[in-house]
Amino acid sequence: MVVASEQVPQTDGQSAKTKQKKQRQRNRPRNKRNRHEDSNLNNTPETESSATDSASAMPGDKSEKTDAVATEKTREQVMAEREAKKLAKQAKKQKNPSAATAAGVATPATTIITEVEQTTITTKLTTTTTTKAKEKLELLEKKADTAVTKTSPAPVENGKEEKSREQIKAEREAKKAAKKAGKSTVDKVEAATQQLSNLKVTENVQTPAAAKAQPPSSLEANQKKPTLSKAERRAIQEAQRAAKAQGQAAKKPQPGGKASTAAPPSKELKRESVSPAKAATSSSPSKGSTSGTPQSECRVRLFNHLVCAKGDSLFINDPLVHPSIARLGVQYAKRTVVGSNARCIAFLHALRQVVHDFETPPKKEFGRSLDAAVKHHVDHLHKCRPLAVSVSNAYKQFKNQLTQLPADTPETELKELLDHFIDTYIENQIGKAAQAISGFLQEKITDGDVLLTFACSSLIQFICEEAKRRQVSFRVIVVDSRPGCEGQEMLRRLHAYGIPCTYVLINAVGYVMPEATKVLLGAHALLANGYVMARTGTAQVALVANANNVPVLVCCETHKFSERFQTDAIVYNELSDPNQLVRGDKCQLNNWAAKGKLMPLNLNYDITPPELVNAVVTEVAILPCTSVPVILRIKPDIGY
Amino acid sequence: MHEQPLKEVTQLIHAIKVGLVEGSYNITNKTLDIFKYIIMSKSWQNADALMQIVRAQCRILQSALPQETVSSNIARRILKLTREEFDLLHAKVQHIADDSQASLSLHKLVTQTSESNVMSDYTVPQQGLREALLDHLQEVETELETSSENICVQAEEHIHSSEIILTLGHSRSVENFLKRAIKKRQSLTIIVAECAPACRGHNLAASLASEKNVEIIVIPDAAIFAMMSRVNKVIIGTHSVLANGGLRAACGAYTVALAAKHYSVPVIVLAPMYKLSPLHLCEQDAFNMVGCAEDVIPYDSIPAREAKVYSPMFDYVPPELITLFISNTGGHAPSYVYRLLTELYHPEDLEI
Repeated sequence: MVVASEQVPQTDGQSAKTKQKKQRQRNRPRNKRNRHEDSNLNNTPETESSATDSASAMPGDKSEKTDAVATEKTREQVMAEREAKKLAKQAKKQKNPSAATAAGVATPATTIITEVEQTTITTKLTTTTTTKAKEKLELLEKKADTAVTKTSPAPVENGKEEKSREQIKAEREAKKAAKKAGKSTVDKVEAATQQLSNLKVTENVQTPAAAKAQPPSSLEANQKKPTLSKAERRAIQEAQRAAKAQGQAAKKPQPGGKASTAAPPSKELKRESVSPAKAATSSSPSKGSTSGTPQSECRVRLFNHLVCAKGDSLFINDPLVHPSIARLGVQYAKRTVVGSNARCIAFLHALRQVVHDFETPPKKEFGRSLDAAVKHHVDHLHKCRPLAVSVSNAYKQFKNQLTQLPADTPETELKELLDHFIDTYIENQIGKAAQAISGFLQEKITDGDVLLTFACSSLIQFICEEAKRRQVSFRVIVVDSRPGCEGQEMLRRLHAYGIPCTYVLINAVGYVMPEATKVLLGAHALLANGYVMARTGTAQVALVANANNVPVLVCCETHKFSERFQTDAIVYNELSDPNQLVRGDKCQLNNWAAKGKLMPLNLNYDITPPELVNAVVTEVAILPCTSVPVILRIKPDIGY
Repeated sequence: MHEQPLKEVTQLIHAIKVGLVEGSYNITNKTLDIFKYIIMSKSWQNADALMQIVRAQCRILQSALPQETVSSNIARRILKLTREEFDLLHAKVQHIADDSQASLSLHKLVTQTSESNVMSDYTVPQQGLREALLDHLQEVETELETSSENICVQAEEHIHSSEIILTLGHSRSVENFLKRAIKKRQSLTIIVAECAPACRGHNLAASLASEKNVEIIVIPDAAIFAMMSRVNKVIIGTHSVLANGGLRAACGAYTVALAAKHYSVPVIVLAPMYKLSPLHLCEQDAFNMVGCAEDVIPYDSIPAREAKVYSPMFDYVPPELITLFISNTGGHAPSYVYRLLTELYHPEDLEI
């Protein structure tokens, strides 16, 4: 519930114009940092794994203390401001009393969070590299794992403190820009900048004083606000409200135009896509329900039953969706968070945030109401992109955990329990499982081996790195396919570890297969009938390997085991954007939609029949595919 | 033995290498023109000399363009023609023409002794050989011209309505074949695998999309296996047909054929007769070539610095994965290819 609250003055304090400007400026330093981080990633990939949850936590370390102080300080200010604003808002929006009961007292808080998170969304979306950092997480080794558990609530806080610094910087820049704009600026803007500068000053002055003041109480807040007189503040708030109303009016027409933004996403588009959502969350939450999901039916007759993903998907204008989930939804939809493990971890971290910020409605039971809230969030994620098996399994376990919560325990303790559960789930199901699988496979990788792998799998990468650490001399053939070309990422990661690689496209797999001694494949899920669901092309690699009598080993943690049965890739599958198949301007497929019945099809997964797979390596044992039901039956005993 | 290439031959080699002449059909046509020119020229006096020239030029073409087997194939056809015409004329001169009829009888085949098979002396100058050869060459040319059409005619025999057909890359025979099929049959679905990195499948898809009453689905190569479970027939073109009935086809054909085998989908290969080559190669290392890798991964990307990148051009498809060949003379099983070869070429010309 407590969030970095120094955002408030500047969220509402400026006209839309300055907000835009500032956002742009907020993006800039972050991008720079990301780029820096990326290059860092090339050099020392291990250090980078610590930057897990937030986009980057690197500069946070040295200045953490001062940041924390700043947060404390401003929080108090904001509390008072919030009081005033709440009154104003209650008067202003009587539109939805229903949401008011659900969001209840937390409404202003939600807006704040939204603001905070949305800055991260914009920054996240501008760079895909951040997700690489996220993906790194999957291969957390012991060290990283323990680090995460130790600092379990920390990453979020870190991220926010980080952001607050970021924002201070942005504020400074915004101020500068506003000043440059000079006389043309409206006095509202001036008031806002004035207020910002005031804020800035108070922060600077009062940091040593606030250092000792840890718990924020209204008493202290009252004492420590002499810098801004009440009258001053009221004036500022008036200005803010006016500016906000203006901004909303300007933004309202935008959501109508967003459906047509199927074009490749540019920074401009993204910013637009975020802002109307914010307008909706802060002013009229009822609008969230009207804006449907921009999905369309697939044109290919065989796949009419599947929903085709569009490039742009905006579902974040729902007030009941926690910002961290909204952000994750966008990341899922934009495919910036990909891979079973990465999606699962990202989901659990978002879930942790939801639990953390959850407030039990009056006269309700904590467990049940949280269950309902989480269900809503999961539904939202499902709308963004069909849930990965790993995610739905994690959700199932989480729900299971909720039902087992002790009845008469304080809420904070329950939250801690859930927090602990999430940590152990990540550690056991993903971290330790990867180690166990790697342990099994290390016996199988010997000198002179040529491993063939398809696309990008964090687990396979982990195994290869482990083998490299053992100084086994082996090489890897990375098979890749258009349009995703995830193998290039795999190649980059293996290359960073100095593992000699060969790279071919999937139609040349027959050319390289005679060289290979083992085929290692990652999986999206293992189905109950022993079929392996994985990235499209996996089945083909297994097929060719089988024809060449090369053993095929599928590596899959048991948390990806599914109870579904499926015999082909058509009944249930996911479709990506068909436009990815079009390459360049000279491609004959350009304008395919206009050319009669020409349809590109971009399947996400395929199904490998068990007869093509020699063994599945799980953290429990090396098994034949057909033993999946056995594991599913005994699973509750091993994992949880 | 060192031979000088004719001016036309060097021109042709150059044109093929820089991509001015593309496609098996065009290359065959151009090669045939050259040999026609050689036959018409006064540079040879007897059959043996002609055969020497043809062989020499063929060797040059072969060493310059090892991947284009069609030019050697057409040279073999000409050698065989020369032999036949010479023998026929020789027989006429010897007045044993009536005997030629008997050679078809079973009795004759069984009782045939080595004495009647005595080697002809091709060095003997023969009157009217040139004219006879040019006549025959006309027939070969017509055959070449109509080969595509003859294959297309058979479309109706193999495709029924609302079939789901998968094809790979872009073959001209397949394009014409499918166009014919689309005209004759209702509501076909054609799945085109794009065949990266060149993605020539896109061209085929765009070309077929102009037809009515058909659904064209373009898929990346990775989705071949996933889609195969719904496919009724696989129809592919080939670069050449090998002596054992195997294929040397575009890269990716092996996966397609394997996937089809896995789902028991018939694989139909469209191969005009001039693509049959008497080569016994049964693994891809014997003939494969690697192309430019820039399309596979950009040269300036970080991982490309260290990694080995291959972009092979061909795949070997073993005969057991192929159900049927459709040539301009009709359908053939892969096991029958050797027989076609003996009819098409003279056994002594297999090695040029």
